Amino acid sequence: MTEALVGEGRGANGAALVEMTMQQAINRALDTALREDPATLVFGEDVGRLGGVFRVTDGLQAAYGQNRVFDTPLAESGIVGLAVGLAMNGWRPIPELQFDGFAYPAVDQIVNQMARMHYRSRGAASMPITVRLPSFGGIQAPEHHGESLEALFAHVPGLKVVAPSDPNDAYRLLLQSIRSDDPVIYMEPKARYWDRRQVVLDGARAQAADTGGDPIGASRIARPGRHATLVAWGAMVHRCLRVAELAAEDGVDLEVLDLRWLKPIDTDGLAASVSRTRRAVVVHEAPLTAGLGAEVSSLITERVFCDLAAPVQRVTGFDVPYPAGPLEPQYLPTIDRILLAVQRTLEF
Amino acid sequence: MAEQTFTLPDLGEGLVEATVLEWLAEPGERIERNQPLVELETTKSAVEIPSPHSGVIVRLHAEEGAVVQVGAALVTFETEQAAGIVGTVPREEERPSRRVRLRPPAE
Repeated sequence: MTEALVGEGRGANGAALVEMTMQQAINRALDTALREDPATLVFGEDVGRLGGVFRVTDGLQAAYGQNRVFDTPLAESGIVGLAVGLAMNGWRPIPELQFDGFAYPAVDQIVNQMARMHYRSRGAASMPITVRLPSFGGIQAPEHHGESLEALFAHVPGLKVVAPSDPNDAYRLLLQSIRSDDPVIYMEPKARYWDRRQVVLDGARAQAADTGGDPIGASRIARPGRHATLVAWGAMVHRCLRVAELAAEDGVDLEVLDLRWLKPIDTDGLAASVSRTRRAVVVHEAPLTAGLGAEVSSLITERVFCDLAAPVQRVTGFDVPYPAGPLEPQYLPTIDRILLAVQRTLEF
Repeated sequence: MAEQTFTLPDLGEGLVEATVLEWLAEPGERIERNQPLVELETTKSAVEIPSPHSGVIVRLHAEEGAVVQVGAALVTFETEQAAGIVGTVPREEERPSRRVRLRPPAE
């Protein structure tokens, strides 16, 4: 993978500043984890010899050998089951489930074993597993390759769920997930894999424990604004930023809150933003009914009801199976649908 | 940028070759994935083959009327960025189109 060193190439604390795609950022985070901790293991379908169907694990098997980076059979339940057994024996597994829709066969191991082993063993067995799950739509892929499972996993006690929106967060949040002793579902927005930006890489090994400032569960204001807050995660953050640019042409100043962690949700950050702007629109790709937007909407209402100038709006996918490629643009929240929801909050 | 050559796929039913009836794109032309690429005729039927990639056509490896064996090179593309094994790299408009206009709230 080619990367360009930016400027001096060194930021604060000796950390390197490098411009790279999200694919490369995730690859670098895995590389950092494999280097700093000999207990980390990367495995899944095609992650070894092939280097991953999106090149995310490119070169890792060559660098760390077949014992630490390896291919598994096409059996997702087995992949997560293997991770659970390894974690119980002191390893720090980073399994990949190749696509969102392929997580369904692994739900038994994720929900019945991985999520509750720590609880079941009264703390004796921690589950420092990070399940990498290429997620969401936007690349016109076939069925089972465009699903948004965040609400399903956020509902399961014992799991943490995170979805980065840009390369720097992808790097940072993945390392944070891996270094956590709890199981994390790390949802990679496939549509943003090719997004290229500056990433602050870890400097010397001495800073390896530093997770870059924000604790697990912290959201991020991707764009400050004063008239309404757009709440999003994954690829929808970028779309909301574009909406905010268009709204600015009309004199409407939108804040974009990148939730990042879908469990735990940053209720304080959410409440603070909406309390300022007095209006909120939640945007996600998943279907509307019982989607995470409902949870976000509830949290806002519970925390800052009296500050609200309008009911919280939701702009989501539809309550239908994720459509085949050509219909994807109509299914995903469009710029106009988001703008309409903003207008509804402004006119209420 | 990378060159990718598309070979005549196994057409099934024991067919080992096909005749190029008509190229629906020419060298130098940009083609999108799934856009019609070539019309082929086998002993069973005439079929239109959609383009497997998005990119610029660099070379056609067979003239119209020529017989191509399964596995032989058909066309070479110059592709910008391979998405991976599944899907396409999303394209983004420099300026997204919009129909909804906003009215700022009364301050």
